[in-house]
Amino acid sequence: MNRLTHKLFIAFLVVPAFVILLAVVFYPFLYNVAISFSNMSLRHIKDWSFVGVQQYVKVFAEPTQPDFYAVFMKTIIWTAVNLVFHVVIGVALALLLNQRDVKGKPLFRTLLILPWAIPQYIVALTWRGMFNYEYGSINLIITKYLNLPAVEWLKSPTEAFLACILTNVWLGFPFMMVIALGALQSIPHELYEAADIDGASWWHKLKNITLPLIRPVMIPAITLGTVWTFNNLNIVWLVSNAGEPSDQTHILVSFVYKAAFNLYRYGYAAALSMVIFVLLLMFSLFFLKKTRATEAAY
Amino acid sequence: VKNPLLLVAGLLLLGGCATTPDPRHIVIWHQMRVDERLVLDSQLRQFEAENPDVTVEEIYKETEELRSGFIVAAIAGQGPDLVYGPSDMVGPFEVMGIIEPLESLLDTSFLGSFIPKGLTYYHGHLYQIADKLGNHLTLIYNKDLIMDPPTTDQELIAMRERFTQDLNGDGKPDRYVLTWNYTEPFFFIPFMTGFGGWVMTDDGTPTLDTEGTVNGLKFIRDLRDRYKIIPGEADYNIADILFKDGKSAMIINGDWSWAGYKKAGVNFGVAPLPRIVSTGLWCEPMVSPKGFSLNTNVSAAKRPVVLSLLRFLMRPEIQLQTARALWTMPTRREAVASDFVQHDDILRNSALQIEHGRAMPVVPELRAIWDAMRPSYQAVLGGAKTPEQAAREMQDLALRKIKELNE
Repeated sequence: MNRLTHKLFIAFLVVPAFVILLAVVFYPFLYNVAISFSNMSLRHIKDWSFVGVQQYVKVFAEPTQPDFYAVFMKTIIWTAVNLVFHVVIGVALALLLNQRDVKGKPLFRTLLILPWAIPQYIVALTWRGMFNYEYGSINLIITKYLNLPAVEWLKSPTEAFLACILTNVWLGFPFMMVIALGALQSIPHELYEAADIDGASWWHKLKNITLPLIRPVMIPAITLGTVWTFNNLNIVWLVSNAGEPSDQTHILVSFVYKAAFNLYRYGYAAALSMVIFVLLLMFSLFFLKKTRATEAAY
Repeated sequence: VKNPLLLVAGLLLLGGCATTPDPRHIVIWHQMRVDERLVLDSQLRQFEAENPDVTVEEIYKETEELRSGFIVAAIAGQGPDLVYGPSDMVGPFEVMGIIEPLESLLDTSFLGSFIPKGLTYYHGHLYQIADKLGNHLTLIYNKDLIMDPPTTDQELIAMRERFTQDLNGDGKPDRYVLTWNYTEPFFFIPFMTGFGGWVMTDDGTPTLDTEGTVNGLKFIRDLRDRYKIIPGEADYNIADILFKDGKSAMIINGDWSWAGYKKAGVNFGVAPLPRIVSTGLWCEPMVSPKGFSLNTNVSAAKRPVVLSLLRFLMRPEIQLQTARALWTMPTRREAVASDFVQHDDILRNSALQIEHGRAMPVVPELRAIWDAMRPSYQAVLGGAKTPEQAAREMQDLALRKIKELNE
């Protein structure tokens, strides 16, 4: 195969993927950038024009209900709390499942992956029913078996937000568990044998072998998890029934959804989604650089 | 296609979006429930059997997805030929110029055969022809528990002794007189109108900070906290389950729910919502037609075929098929006058409720008003706001949102 044929062959393989990427990623992205600088809305949907950074100014300066900065803070709390629980529970369960003497390992693995396998909207609506004050199973457990007063999960803003977080924690840990389990299984057993010979404790082995060696896999997973959680519209929207009570359980992405599809503020929603994009991009770059995720572990 | 950028965006955003270049292939987008879909499907197959050279494809989309999807597709010069939904879609679609006026495309004798409420006009043009009238709330009662549904608020409250009961002795009621979905302001409208309130003026200016709103909110709060005849918390699903399980003797729900209660084996009856004695006014729900609008992108060559389908679906016998299967109120005079509609107990009461109902505004501003009402309505039921404060904040927020909507 001469050089030209070789290059043509490479192009032949790459072009279809590139065309699809162009169509489903680059073009919509550039289109979103364009309308974020426009006045596209209910009254200007066909005759929209560029209005500079007006929509970006509105994002940061316009008083909104609920307040943009409060929603932003809530989004950060939502993402951080979820991620901490996803990773801690996921890695802990992976460590348990990675033990050699665990009986019924395939069964446990299947059961623990179940939350991830069920469609999100079913999970969200089921949990919403479970959080009902009078008839939900969570309050029945709290009152009957723990002898505590029932919690108004869906009526108070803090509790409703907590309900969304609990649902998403349940939904999200299996992903981290699967990733961590894969990483754990790739660690050579000789390293642990050598540590045993040196008299290392369980904690020392975890700190000096396990965690450093699963890090290259976990860091990209955490980055992905952050982006997914930050943008997880389904759970917040369905568990809180579109921001209940009183629009107090929004995160930025559900705020964007309302602006775009309830009030047809396409320009404003596009600007807000660009702000979200830049925030996530900055976080990802900073996080990957700080954690040196791209460096080899061995 | 006027804007190639929008065309590509439409194609990208809408998997399964129909471009329908084939003049003998008609695409309908609708938001019908499963039971409605089965009826529609059989009717479309009847149409295809009568017109062997035409095929019809019906695509279900959830109401919000239908609305946003149709906007994106139609702006890009694409989309279905017919879009089906409640009449409040007409306002935004008309403003965006994505649905076609129908009055010049259909003959006057055909249009004259509809009851006026079946034809939705906006800014002087006909934009939607309905096959069903209603989409309205009624009082639905369990006939195994109640023989005579209440006709006034006082009769309703007096039912507390008989129905709000702690059956298992745990100190909490296990059965209630009444329930409904507390989270959506659509369900608050009958209480608002019962106390003389309404959502907006004819030109779309919100009228939420009124005594009607305040007293309506107080009344609901009293039903729950003072008279204890409704549960402490209920969304649509919870209310539905309570009624189906016999844990609530009555429910306020829409005509869409009747077929489901029949299927669930509930021995139910339908009655108009009660009158408020102190005001002398009926609790009037919003009433809206549900029907078809024509996409502006349908070519002139294709229009006759699409309109022939529309005429078929509006035939009195087709509307009666739907009415028999789903208890929906038809819109053709001939179907309305039929024995079935005139004598069926549920449809007679449905007609009474429609009489005691108010037409849902089709202006786009209604969307902003729902959005403005929802948080404060929920806050009153959650105990976070007083009715007076809620009414004031609803009004302020509605004004702000309408400004945003029309920016």
